[in-house]
Amino acid sequence: MKEISRRDMGRLALAAAAVPATARAQTAPSGPPIRIGFSMSLSGGLAGNGRPALTTHRIWAEDVNSKGGLLGRPVELVYYDDQSNGSQVPGIYTKLLDVDKVDLVVSGYSTAIAAPAMPVVMQRNMAFVSLFAANVNADFKYDRYFSVTTTGSDLKGTFAKGFIDIAMAMEPRPRTIAIAYLDSDFHQRAAESARFLAKERGLRVVYDRAYPPTTVDFSPIMRSVQSARPDVVFIGSYPPDTAGMLRAASELRVSFPMMGGPMIGPHITAQKLQLGPILNNLVVWDVYAPAPTLQFPGVQALIERYQPIAAREGTDALGYYVPPMAYAQMQVLEQAVRRVGKIDQAALAADMHANQFDTVIGPMRFDAQGEWTEDRNLYTQYQGIQGNGIEQFRRPDTQVVLYPPKYKSGELRKPYTAGA
Amino acid sequence: MSDATLPGVTLAAPRRMGHAAFWLAAAAVGLAVILALRGIGSEYVYFVSTIVLQYVVLATAWNILGGYAGYVNFGAAAFFAAGAYATVAFGKAMGLGLLPCIGLAAVVGGALGFGTGVLTLRLRGAYFAIATLCLSVVLQTIVVNWSYVGGSRGAYVLRPRDVPWPFETYSGFLCAVLVVLAAASVAIARTIETSRLGLGLAALRDDEQAAEATGVPTLRLKLVATTVSGAMMAVAGAPLPFIGSYVEPGSAFGLSYAVNAIAMPLIGGTSSWAGPLIGAVLLSSLQQAATVTISSAANLLIVGVLLVVFVCAAPHGIIGLFRGRR
Repeated sequence: MKEISRRDMGRLALAAAAVPATARAQTAPSGPPIRIGFSMSLSGGLAGNGRPALTTHRIWAEDVNSKGGLLGRPVELVYYDDQSNGSQVPGIYTKLLDVDKVDLVVSGYSTAIAAPAMPVVMQRNMAFVSLFAANVNADFKYDRYFSVTTTGSDLKGTFAKGFIDIAMAMEPRPRTIAIAYLDSDFHQRAAESARFLAKERGLRVVYDRAYPPTTVDFSPIMRSVQSARPDVVFIGSYPPDTAGMLRAASELRVSFPMMGGPMIGPHITAQKLQLGPILNNLVVWDVYAPAPTLQFPGVQALIERYQPIAAREGTDALGYYVPPMAYAQMQVLEQAVRRVGKIDQAALAADMHANQFDTVIGPMRFDAQGEWTEDRNLYTQYQGIQGNGIEQFRRPDTQVVLYPPKYKSGELRKPYTAGA
Repeated sequence: MSDATLPGVTLAAPRRMGHAAFWLAAAAVGLAVILALRGIGSEYVYFVSTIVLQYVVLATAWNILGGYAGYVNFGAAAFFAAGAYATVAFGKAMGLGLLPCIGLAAVVGGALGFGTGVLTLRLRGAYFAIATLCLSVVLQTIVVNWSYVGGSRGAYVLRPRDVPWPFETYSGFLCAVLVVLAAASVAIARTIETSRLGLGLAALRDDEQAAEATGVPTLRLKLVATTVSGAMMAVAGAPLPFIGSYVEPGSAFGLSYAVNAIAMPLIGGTSSWAGPLIGAVLLSSLQQAATVTISSAANLLIVGVLLVVFVCAAPHGIIGLFRGRR
């Protein structure tokens, strides 16, 4: 057997090094990056959800780049902090499009941030995918707008349908409802839906009042609701109010056959832990829950990737609320670009209108207004919470899906007694 | 009333530019700025300039009451938002465009300023400041509960598709309108400052009782100052709905407007028309740069730090520093 000389050894080593390098070159993205611009609320009131959204966008970019990029080019995220202030947004998008020359744009988190970006993106005829923005396009009627939120375009007819359906299935059948909500865009629309559907189903509204965003003491509201003796209580609130409202309910030892609604708050891990057993039997509007019926391809892998990063960065620890939606937002863009094969805004918009998107949050399709053709307002119930540990919230039986029937994973428990 | 007794006299040098000459100079500078911005032709530059110029109008307006008369108004955001919501309301009710809405916003702001003046000018110092702060809260509550202008949901104001000649984009037109408004507001401020009205305001700023004793009609002057200041602040806010196409009470009554309206004149110098102009250009440019570089909530921090530095190192603002050297 011929011995390998030192020179041959060198050649072999070079060849061994070259092979994987060539293989890598076939899959590694190359060329100028595709730049995707957006504003994100990294400080201010919306940062609690803006920061997890950014973390998720970064995970998506890593995923895409590790799989050869988009159209063979790497993707690069260009973003600025809008400080949760809508007046910063037009300037940010103007800079993204004029100075940074981004190829694609998506929105930051919420209606208040997506809406002010509209005139700028409309002026440049950009395709625009928003995140958690409710009915922004009802006024603009922009044919290149697409919304990644579960509410659909008929908020009045569908938003509270799940809640009312669950209530009407109770025995004995409820006869009265109380509606208390924060005086804000989203909650006004939610209350409008509850009012409309309650009337349609013969529920008598015994309390119907909005409270201002400056409210700090929720006991008078809860006391008034209690004195109206409703069978069902529908509440629309944002995190600080939700905590206040539920604490007041706990102090007053309320007992209603059913209580809940779009009470945004327990969606954030810190508030789940803070409220603990007070959440038991609360029926909450949501977009995702770790239920077996909602295990769409890729969602579990995303959450497993997200959670260690969130622990490092100090953002929302569990990431069941914003991350799946934020990832789906980028997947819509990704799938449209892959199908079209080039960055052509008109073609991208046409593709988004024409096709279904399979995302980590499930399949979605957009109507003429850019909203989901089929709404997916989930109503979930917290059950069996003991203490304030985080591990119990990873179990699917802690937050069961009650509505829609397609995704149902548990049965309604009643009454709601605020942890008593 | 003798000129020799007033601190503003140093400005009233014999070779001072006349009112007409200053208005012409302001118009010439405004035209030059419009041409320069058009030369650059970048949408982003238009946007940044629009915001900076909006603050020039706001700070100059605040200074008429706060700087010349010494009445600190913490309700700048209320007047600013009154202008913004006047645009929303009149635009919706009568289908008016930006320019007539600016005129109507001036009327609304002026009326609001006059009303505030009548109700609060018997108050002085901290009590007046608190009263103006209350105005902001009251007005925000009214807007939040007024569903015609969107209430707490906010209102959408769509930009017209036709861009006025000779502008290529609506942003360019908006920016040019703001240049004109800024030039006009600086000229108005300078006219007030160097007129009998300005001298009377300076007198009541230094010692209201002494001014009244010497025959200065203090109440009338204060009412004129609150009316003019209110009208100009509302004018600053009037284009806001067209800048973002969406207005909601939270951002229209934002803390940043109230803080900046006070900080900019204080940093630039409150005794002269040039102070708010310098302060607004410096501070808002810095804030715009911070938004896209530091990219955090550093804006109000920058304002706070600069305010502390200037209050300690230059209590009369940047203008005061130069005057001190002369």
